[in-house]
Amino acid sequence: MKNGSITTILAGCMGMALSAALFAAPALAADKTVKIGNVEPLSGPSASVGVQGKQAREMAIEEINAAGGIKSLGGAKLELVYADSKSDPTVGVTETERLINTEKVNLLTGCWNSAVTYPATQVAERYGIPFVVPVAVRDTITERGFKNVFRIAAKDSWWVRDQFRFLKDMQEETGVKLQKIAFVFENGDWGTGFAEKWRELAKKDGYEIVLDEPYPSTATDLTPVVTKLKAAKPDIVMLVSNAADAILLTNTMAEMQVKPKVVLASGGGHADPKFLENTDTNALGIFDEVEWNTDVNKPAAKPANEKFKKKYGYDLTGESVDAYVAMYVIADALERAASTDPAKIREALAATNLTTGPGMIVSYDGVQFDETGQNKNAGIVIVQVANVDGKPERVTVWPKAARRAGYVPAFPANK
Amino acid sequence: MTAVIQAALNGAMMGAMYGLTALGLTLIFGVMKVVNFAHGSLLMVGMFSAYWLIRLTGIHPYLALVIVPPVLFVFGYYLQDVVIKPVFKAEGQVREPLTVIIVTTGVWYVLDNLALMLFGAEYRTVRTAISNKSFALGEFIISIPKFSGFVVAIATAIGLALFMRKTKTGKALRATSLDREAANLMGIDQYRIYNIAFGLGTAIAGIAGCVLIPFYYVYPSVGVVFDIRAFIIVVLGGLGSIPGALLGGLVIGLIESVFSQFMASTWTEAIIYAIFLIILFVKPSGFFGHKQDW
Amino acid sequence: MSRKQLDRILLAVVALAAFGLPLVVTSPTYLQILILLFFYAYLTTAWNLVGGFAGVLPLGHSVFVGIGAYTSSILTLQYGVSPWIGMLVGGAIAAVIGVIIGLPTFRMRGAYFCLCTIAFAEGIRVMVENIDTLGPLKINGPRGLLVPLLKDPTFWDYQFMSKLPYYYIILVLLILVLAFTWFISRSKIGYYLAAGGEEPEAAAALGINVANYKLFAMALSCFLTALAGTFYAQLMLYFYPKGLMGLDLSFEIAFIALIGGRGTIAGPVIGALLLRPLNEFTRIYLSDMLPGLHLVIFGLILILVMIYLPKGLTAPLAALYDRLARKITGQGAAK
Repeated sequence: MKNGSITTILAGCMGMALSAALFAAPALAADKTVKIGNVEPLSGPSASVGVQGKQAREMAIEEINAAGGIKSLGGAKLELVYADSKSDPTVGVTETERLINTEKVNLLTGCWNSAVTYPATQVAERYGIPFVVPVAVRDTITERGFKNVFRIAAKDSWWVRDQFRFLKDMQEETGVKLQKIAFVFENGDWGTGFAEKWRELAKKDGYEIVLDEPYPSTATDLTPVVTKLKAAKPDIVMLVSNAADAILLTNTMAEMQVKPKVVLASGGGHADPKFLENTDTNALGIFDEVEWNTDVNKPAAKPANEKFKKKYGYDLTGESVDAYVAMYVIADALERAASTDPAKIREALAATNLTTGPGMIVSYDGVQFDETGQNKNAGIVIVQVANVDGKPERVTVWPKAARRAGYVPAFPANK
Repeated sequence: MTAVIQAALNGAMMGAMYGLTALGLTLIFGVMKVVNFAHGSLLMVGMFSAYWLIRLTGIHPYLALVIVPPVLFVFGYYLQDVVIKPVFKAEGQVREPLTVIIVTTGVWYVLDNLALMLFGAEYRTVRTAISNKSFALGEFIISIPKFSGFVVAIATAIGLALFMRKTKTGKALRATSLDREAANLMGIDQYRIYNIAFGLGTAIAGIAGCVLIPFYYVYPSVGVVFDIRAFIIVVLGGLGSIPGALLGGLVIGLIESVFSQFMASTWTEAIIYAIFLIILFVKPSGFFGHKQDW
Repeated sequence: MSRKQLDRILLAVVALAAFGLPLVVTSPTYLQILILLFFYAYLTTAWNLVGGFAGVLPLGHSVFVGIGAYTSSILTLQYGVSPWIGMLVGGAIAAVIGVIIGLPTFRMRGAYFCLCTIAFAEGIRVMVENIDTLGPLKINGPRGLLVPLLKDPTFWDYQFMSKLPYYYIILVLLILVLAFTWFISRSKIGYYLAAGGEEPEAAAALGINVANYKLFAMALSCFLTALAGTFYAQLMLYFYPKGLMGLDLSFEIAFIALIGGRGTIAGPVIGALLLRPLNEFTRIYLSDMLPGLHLVIFGLILILVMIYLPKGLTAPLAALYDRLARKITGQGAAK
């Protein structure tokens, strides 16, 4: 074995050298297209959100190209290049390198998972390629002093801040006083990040924390958590859940007849198109915090959603709207930059002030980045699952200005 | 106290079902002396079979219980015959061939990802006639799908134990389990017995699938979640022992449910591993295992 | 030309080729793929010291990668210690934990050993996910650790703007671990380990304390594995428990060894050479239309290799080389 084994390494290495020579073939840069690289989870545990983001991007790009592309670049068309991160940071980095060096993309977007966004934006920062992050909510993403990272979605401290504002506003509006609060969250990057800030704000607002419960997102049974919740008798239950556990939790709570006065979720699993399908009437009364809802008060929103639903068979979600808007933000920046030079695109992105146009279907007034690259206007709405014409539907209730006309929120949802 | 009793009731029901998911694994190990890493995938196949059957025909989940397991028996029988047997034959002399473990791992990858290609990554649930139903026992709430799962799990374990004792095939399985060579000499075809054992193990995964579907969701890698727990259960109960699997399942279910009333439920996972390792060092053969097996 | 000369020339050519490869492959994309290829080859070679030579199948090695990454990163983030030093500290901690795990498990039989290493690794991962701070150490639970990107890193920071230094670091590490393995396999230790792996009773009867040699192999393997953990942390600058310490990585390491040829020196490298590019290219070209296809191919290869080449791909490749070498050197049947 001895000699043979060493030398077989050789044979292998030579094969590798050959294939390496094949890699070296240069990519042909076509004229008049701007390439946008997208790192998204297209397989693996978060594949369904990855595909939703992909479809939203495609619709936006079709619209932009149909309207004549980037005029300052002689009508250049936008082209999307996708890379699958599998929700794995290692893969995300390899793919970001590939998009920058082999595909020669002019700018990047992605990655939905915070865990992939951290290292992928680091790669982009090294090369000085602008990176627009539609979603990935961890605060730290825009707090590392990076020059090339721009985020459309609100960051998690804002999400939590608005959840507590909502609770306060609603208690004032209805005159109901709620005291005991419970936290139930998935034990991942996202859930633990939210919980950390919940504790701070709950203390500040004078709530009594009666339960602070992380659960493994792969749990087979959430009955123990719900049993605990039942014993703690909270007025308010705050949730962070992924798709599967949101369904399991909602159905288990109904089965165990746990009916807190207010259940407030944080999007994600609760905002997934599959959620209502799988929970049906068990979900009635739940409040959910999202960036967008189909009934949002913007003229372009309704036609955009109808077009999307016709094309792909489901409603736009907050996260896909972020992806959709990101394409319009990019198109706007390219128009002003009048160049495909990354540094110029970066400057144009930093100066973004997009308030009008077909892409502005968001719930807030416009996209503008602060010095860290965070969209400082990014807003959030809170919806309630209500019975509309005999079917559970998500109805916007907060902020009050955005509330669906004629809807009176059930607050508390249970007595 | 109410919460603890409620948690214990729920833990016992879930535990019996965990035991059921481990039953096929322990049977296959008992006879073939191989840890079947594809077991979770077989459970996934069982769950998807039950899911599609109920979704497409709308039949009662109890009825699925008579259709899915026989289909899975045939599937398991031929899976072993075609894929695993060749490796066994190549390593006929080795008592616990590691290559077979690796082949089962390959089967796991293939099955899980075929499911991903066919059905996509999404989580699926189906509303059955018993989904979300419960009854009250005094102040405690008993979920009907879980309670029937509990009953089915215990009935399956008893049925399997009787089968092993009373029938000719069962006796042949036990003989092979105790001494492969001696069984061979007595005219038992070792490889046919393996096929039957693997088929039975798969059929039990099918039963577990039918029991889980009314209240749980299915997705391509759902098996992994149950797999690791099933490994722990069979080692706790003693690899190869039928009552051991059931008892191991109950212990895990109770720990998971009751302990989480006193600490964050993420910690119960760590406690299960700790208890597992302690038992392994104190009594490596588990509750009912044979010393020769570890 | 004698056979020995031929072997030496070839070995030199390969080493030169590996060192010179970045002259041809200038694209950072492919450098990154090569870096990961060497990274996996390195991890598998380190695993092979236990999984190959000691005849057991550990399936929890990712936990040592995690220990390496966490130790060096915590030392850097909180105490400003260079990751180069943290790397060695992490290795030492991993070796100690490896021995602690090895003490009780090495007396177990195949299946039990497998399951125990899984339980140990998963247990440690779950603990890390549950711990936010451990005394003064900030572990950060499931959120993982973020190593800040430096503007002007020096060598001492173990952070580089270009891919090239990473390529050479992992290449040197790989060559070192291969040399180590070669040395051990020819030494008394390797012989005892092999004897203990195949015939534990017979080895014990000969008065060989197999357990001690196995523990030595385990400590060494864990030490080396943890070094790669620091490398990963410095390459990616971010890691979290589920990604780095999960079972996926442990299984992938074992797969590479098994397909390449467990217990051989070249096996891990050949396994990585085959599986890593397969992994990357099927993902790039196939995952868009058929997610999961590449893992089906993975599984099928694993099954086919186990059925037709239970000793892995190294054996037939070595035989092929033997035949060629005999033709070149003009010698008759050697061995």
